[in-house]
Amino acid sequence: MKAFLPLLLVVLAPAAFGLTIEYGERPEPLAECDRLAYRGERSAASTCYQRLRAGDDLAIRAEAARALGDFRGANEAFREAVRQAPDDASLRARWGYLFLETHQANEAVQLFNEALERDPKHIGAKLGLASVAAGRFEDRAHGWLEEVLSADEDNLPALLLLARMDLEEGALDRAAARLDRAERIAEEQGHPPLEVYALKAALDLLNGNANSEWVGRALAYNPTYGEVYETVAHFYVITRRYREAIDLLQKAVELKPDLYSAHAELGVNLLRENRVVEAQRHLATAYQGDPYSPQIVNTLRLIDSFENFVVSTHEPAEGQPYDPGVILRLHESEAEVLEPYVLALARKSIETFTERYDFTLKEPVVVELYPEHDDFAVRTSGLPGIGLLGVTFGHLVAMDSPSGRAEGDFHWGTTLWHEMAHVFTLEATAHLVPRWFSEGVSVYEEWSTGPLPGRHLPIVFFEAMRDDQLLPIAELDRGFIRPTYQAQVVVSYMQAGLVCEYIAMRWGQEGLKSMLAQFAEGVETGDAVERALGIPAEQFDEEFAAHLETELGAVVDNLESWQQAQREAHQQADAANWPAALEAANRAIELFPDFVDEGSAYLIKAKAHEEAGDVEQAAATLADYRRRGGHDPTGLRALAKWRYEAGDVDEAVAVLEDVLLVAPLGEDVHAELGDRLLEVGRPEQALAEYQTYAALDPHDQANVHYRLARAYQALDDQARAREHLLYALEIAPHYREAQQMLLEIVR
Amino acid sequence: MDSAASLGAAVKLRRLPLWLVPLYAAAAQAEPHYLIVAGLGGEPRYEERFAQQAQSLAEAARRTTGNAEQVEVLSGEDATQESVRAAFGRLAETLDSNDTLIVFLIGHGTFDGDDYKLNLKGRDLTGAELGELLESVPASAQLVMNATSASGAVLESWTTDGRTVITATRSGNERNATRFAEHFAAALSSGEADLDKNGLVSAQEAFDYASRKVADSYEAEGMLATEHPQIAGEGAQRFTVARLTARPTQTPELERLSARMAEIEGELEALRQRRSQMDPDAYLNELQALLLQLATVQQDIDRAQAALDESTED
Repeated sequence: MKAFLPLLLVVLAPAAFGLTIEYGERPEPLAECDRLAYRGERSAASTCYQRLRAGDDLAIRAEAARALGDFRGANEAFREAVRQAPDDASLRARWGYLFLETHQANEAVQLFNEALERDPKHIGAKLGLASVAAGRFEDRAHGWLEEVLSADEDNLPALLLLARMDLEEGALDRAAARLDRAERIAEEQGHPPLEVYALKAALDLLNGNANSEWVGRALAYNPTYGEVYETVAHFYVITRRYREAIDLLQKAVELKPDLYSAHAELGVNLLRENRVVEAQRHLATAYQGDPYSPQIVNTLRLIDSFENFVVSTHEPAEGQPYDPGVILRLHESEAEVLEPYVLALARKSIETFTERYDFTLKEPVVVELYPEHDDFAVRTSGLPGIGLLGVTFGHLVAMDSPSGRAEGDFHWGTTLWHEMAHVFTLEATAHLVPRWFSEGVSVYEEWSTGPLPGRHLPIVFFEAMRDDQLLPIAELDRGFIRPTYQAQVVVSYMQAGLVCEYIAMRWGQEGLKSMLAQFAEGVETGDAVERALGIPAEQFDEEFAAHLETELGAVVDNLESWQQAQREAHQQADAANWPAALEAANRAIELFPDFVDEGSAYLIKAKAHEEAGDVEQAAATLADYRRRGGHDPTGLRALAKWRYEAGDVDEAVAVLEDVLLVAPLGEDVHAELGDRLLEVGRPEQALAEYQTYAALDPHDQANVHYRLARAYQALDDQARAREHLLYALEIAPHYREAQQMLLEIVR
Repeated sequence: MDSAASLGAAVKLRRLPLWLVPLYAAAAQAEPHYLIVAGLGGEPRYEERFAQQAQSLAEAARRTTGNAEQVEVLSGEDATQESVRAAFGRLAETLDSNDTLIVFLIGHGTFDGDDYKLNLKGRDLTGAELGELLESVPASAQLVMNATSASGAVLESWTTDGRTVITATRSGNERNATRFAEHFAAALSSGEADLDKNGLVSAQEAFDYASRKVADSYEAEGMLATEHPQIAGEGAQRFTVARLTARPTQTPELERLSARMAEIEGELEALRQRRSQMDPDAYLNELQALLLQLATVQQDIDRAQAALDESTED
C-alpha cells in the first residue's frame, strides 16, 4: 500500500457507520438506545446515546460515543476505563472492537489477546479474534468459533459468522441450517433479526434468487437498514459479479446516505468497472465519513496517480469481427515501450479465446499495467486468494508491469494471457463461473496456448499430491477462498489447471465449453460435471486421481531424490566444479524433466557444457529448456547468440522474441532483435524494435540513429535514412560505419 | 513515434560532448601517468573482484599510454599506506606541471561522519592524507576516480583547479560495496561508452557510461540504488582514459590529413553552435556537406595508415 493512515484515533468522525448489533449483555440504558437504533429510529437513538455519552460511567460513555461515531471520545473513555480497571477482560475486548471498527486489526488483536490473558474463556475476545481472521479469509477463524460454540452452543454471533463463512465457501446447505437455527435463537433471546435476514438474502442470492423476500423483511424491521443490500453485495463481489454488486450498493447508499462502508465498496467496485469519476465521488464521500480506512485512502491515491498514466484506445481491428477493441492504461514512463507488445498479445489472446470458447466479447477490454506493485495491490484489496501478479474484473485486467519487478522475475506475457482467459470465462457466464473453473481454464490456457509452453508445476503441488491434500472437484473453490495450509491457493491453481487439462484431453475442448455452458446456467460444480461430462463428480475425482498418478506419480515418488540432485547441482556450480555439476544436473533433469522454473538444472547443465567448451551441447540444452517453457532471460539470450553464431538467424529471432515476453525493458535485446530481423529481411519489424530501443533512451544515441537509418534504408525510405544518419554523425562524427553509409548514400 | 522528425527533435543534446576533442589533437597530447590502487577486499570474493578491476584498468591505461612504465599498480597485499605514499613520492619527483596524472582508487572506503578512509593492508589512509598526496604531485591536470564505498565524502575536498574528481557515491553515507568500478573498467573497452566514436574514451564518457550502467543494474534487479556516482571539476572530457583503436603513426602525410580533420571538426562545432538560428533543412544540408568531407578525409587517413602498416610489416 502506498501509505497507511496513522494509527492514532485523532479525528472525530461526523456520523454513523454501519449499524452494529450487540448480542452480548448490555446495561439497560445502552440496550434502550440500541433498540431504537435497531428499529431505524436514528434521531431518537442518537439523542439517547448522546445522553449516555455525557454520563459518569466510563464504559457506558465509551459505548455511547462509539455508537455515535465519536471514536476519539470512545477511545479516551475506554483508555481511562481500562486504566481504572486493568484486570477487566471485557473492557479490553470492547476496546478491541473499537479498533476493529476503525480498521486497526493488529491493535484489536492485541487487545483481544490481553483480554484472554485476563480471562482465557472470554467469549467476546474469542469472537473478536474470529472476526479478524474471517475478515482476512484465514481458516483459523473456525478454531476460535468452535471454542466459543463449545462453551455456548447458542452463541448467535458465532453462528452468524460461521454462516457467513459457509456462504463465502459455497457451503450453502450448511449455511442454511445455521441461519435457520440463528433465526430461532434470535427470536428466543429477543435479538434483532436483521443480520440473520441479510445473510438469508445472501443465501437466496447464491441459490440463484436475486429477489429475496428477506430483504423486504429486514426493511420492514428497520426501514433504513441499507446494510442488508451491502451484505448481499459482498457475496456478489467475492463471486466477481461486480456490476450486480454496484446496483445493490447504490441501493444501500440511497437508503442510508451516510453508510460510508457501502460508499467505499461502491467506489472500489465502480473502479473495477473502469467508472473512474463515479468511483472517485463515492470514495471521497466515504473518506469524509471514514478517514481511517487504508482501502479508501489508497484507492483515492491510486485514482490520483492515474494522471501519470497514458490511456490509449484501440478500436476493433478491421476485418476482425471478434475484436471488441482494447483500451490500455500504461504508465507514462513506459507506455511507448510496452504498448505495441501488450496490444499485440491482448489481441492475439482475444482471437484465440473467441475461437476456443465460441464466445465473442461485447465490450472493449481494458488492460492496466502498474509499475508499482502496491498500486496493483490496491486493486485487489478485500478479495480472497487473488493471484499476486494479475487480476481480472470482467472486462478490466489489472496486472504488474514488468518494470515493477526484477528483470526476468515474472513472465508478463503469460500473466496477461492468463488474465485474458478470465475475461472470457467471466463474461461467457455473466460472472457465474466458479472460481476454480475460471482459474483452471486460465492456467490450462497458459500451458496449452499461451506464449510460454509447458506445464509449470511448483514443488508445493507435488508435495500436496504426496500428502494427499488435493480437494474433490466440487470443493475446489474452498482452496482459493479459505486455505487451510500456506500453499493451498497455489496448489489449488495448479489442481484446477490440471483438471481442465484432463477434461480437454478426455472430452476435448467441447468438454470445457460444455462445463462453461453449465456454469452460465448457474449450475453448481457437482451437477455441471455430471451434465457436461456424463459422470458423477465422485467418479471424476477417482479417474482424475488415477490420471494424475500416471502423469506425475513418478515425480512425486522421486521428489526427495530430485531435490537432492538439485541441491548438489547448485552446490557444485557454486564451487565451479563443472563436471560434478553436470552429472548432478543430468540426474535432476532425468527425474523431473519439466522443471524449468527458477533454479532449473537445465541452466546449470548448459553452463557446465559451456565451461567445457562444448557450445553445441550448451545450446542444445537451452533449446530443450526453452521448449519446455524455460524463460530465464540470460539463458535465452545465450541461446539466441549461439543460434546466431551457428547461422540459424530465424531461430535467434524467435528466441529473442521470447525474451521480450519476460524482459521487455532491456535495451540490448531490442537492438539485437532489430539487427537480426534486418538480416532476415524483416525491416518493418526491425524498425519497430529500433523504435522501442530509441524509446528506452539508451546511452549510445549515435548507435540508435544509425540503426534507425539502416532500417529506413532497408524500407527504401531514403529521406528518413539520411536524416537519422546525419543525427548519428552529428553526435559521433567519427562513427566509421555511419560514415561509410553516408558515402554510399551520396554516391 | 512515427516520424524521423520527431526523433530528430529528441536528439539528446545533453549527450553531445561539450566540445569535440579533435581526434589527432588528442593523440598529440602528453600521455598521462597512472597510479592504480586496489585496497583490501576483506573476503575472497572482493579480493578477487578488486584485483580483476585493477588489472582491467591497468590494461586500458597501458594501451592508452603505450608505455607500461607510466602505469603503476598497487593491489591487495601490496597496497599499503607506505607503498601508496612511496608511489606518490615518485610521481612528485618525476612529473612537472605540464604532465597529466590519473589516479584510480578501488576497494572499500569508510566514513565515520568526519573522516573518510581508504582500507589498505595495515594502516588506512584518510581522505585528508590522500588529498595531501595528490597536492604533492605538480601535474597541473589531474583526474581522480575513487570507486570505493563512501567515496562521496571526499568529492568536495579533493576537487581543485585542474583536478577532476569522480566518486562512486554521492556522500560518505553510501557505505555499501559499490558496482561503479566494474562498470568504469568495462567502459574502457566498450564502443558503447565511446559516444562520439572517435576511438577514445574520455573520463566524461566513461563516467556517463558507468553511471548509467550502475543505475540500470539496480533497476533491473528491482532494488533501490545504494550508490549515486558523482563528478566534480571542469573538463573531464580532456582526459583520455582509454584508447579503443591502434595508436596512429605520425608521418607528414598523416599530419597534413590530421590537420585537415581538425579544421573540419572546428567547422562542425561552429555549425552546431549556429543550429538554433538555422532552418532545419539548411542545417542538415550543411551538416551533410561537412560530414562528407570528414568521412572522405577519414578514408584517406585509414588508407594511408593501412599502407604504412603494410610497409612496416614488409
